[in-house]
Amino acid sequence: MTEEEPTPADVDSDQDVISRILTGERDAFAMLIGRYSDPLYRHALGMTGSPDVAEDILQTSFIKAYHHLGEVRGRFDAWLFRIVANGCKDWLKNIRRTHLSYDEDDQPSTFASPDEDLDRTELRQDLDSALAQLAPSLREAFIMKHVEGRSYEEMADLLGTTVGALKMRVHRAREALQTLLEEKYD
Amino acid sequence: MLDRHEAHDDRNLGQDLPQRDAAPVADRAVADREVPLPGTAAAEDGPALVIHQWLDGETGEAEARRADAKQVDLWKMISAETDQRRRMTTPAYVAANIMAAIPEVRTESKMATATTTPTSAMVEPKSAPGTAVLMAMCAGIFAIGIVIGKML
Repeated sequence: MTEEEPTPADVDSDQDVISRILTGERDAFAMLIGRYSDPLYRHALGMTGSPDVAEDILQTSFIKAYHHLGEVRGRFDAWLFRIVANGCKDWLKNIRRTHLSYDEDDQPSTFASPDEDLDRTELRQDLDSALAQLAPSLREAFIMKHVEGRSYEEMADLLGTTVGALKMRVHRAREALQTLLEEKYD
Repeated sequence: MLDRHEAHDDRNLGQDLPQRDAAPVADRAVADREVPLPGTAAAEDGPALVIHQWLDGETGEAEARRADAKQVDLWKMISAETDQRRRMTTPAYVAANIMAAIPEVRTESKMATATTTPTSAMVEPKSAPGTAVLMAMCAGIFAIGIVIGKML
């Protein structure tokens, strides 16, 4: 007989883990990192287009979360997501101040650094380039829907907006991507 | 994380959201100003709307192909790429870096502990030395005293 899967009751809730950390069990924080780092990393990577930047944002966000754990109100995962999402938006604002506007930039990959040695397919590069030309709110909605695979309801919950508004953002993002990609891939 | 979020969707049962999503597109209540109303240019864009519905899982591929086969092929390519990205994981050293960067003893702002929410019940770790530490220090001083006494 195989070992039984742990039931939800066997797994510590986020609040339980936070309680342990706040009472001095520092290493319990690794549990929260393990639970949430992957989807948050994918979000940061999708938003910034750079693995190095995504790692930096993730590290900074988790460290910030650790120092403010006592301020968590409601769901920890939603609170942590907002820290990461804001980190991505701040980075985008800064990069816009130091780079050409996306509309003017026709480089294949806006954020790819010369050191990045990734074996990217042509479509991957083109998709990165097209995503970089979207407004941050459209890019965020597209990444959450198509890369992270979230439902509209879940997205609305995390971003504090309505399902209708998010559907419209995703639709606009798709239409912009279609326009940017269809000429080459038709 | 996704499963955990989905579990919270149950909170909306009995409210307008699931009912609205179950209704046909044209009959849905307007929940946001950004939602196109029937009769607007966006809503009349038939083939594009069918493609969106297919991408949102609201209609089948066959119907989407009838509307615009080229778009279906394009989105299948894009979906293959996004599916690959969905399987990406955080490099292992990131978690180690985070744990190495956080202090051994937590320091929390006063504001955080002055609230009445469930997390406020969490006790701050004690930063003052415990009784055992003080006793060990006294024993050490006593031992040093004995050694010095014997030397004299």
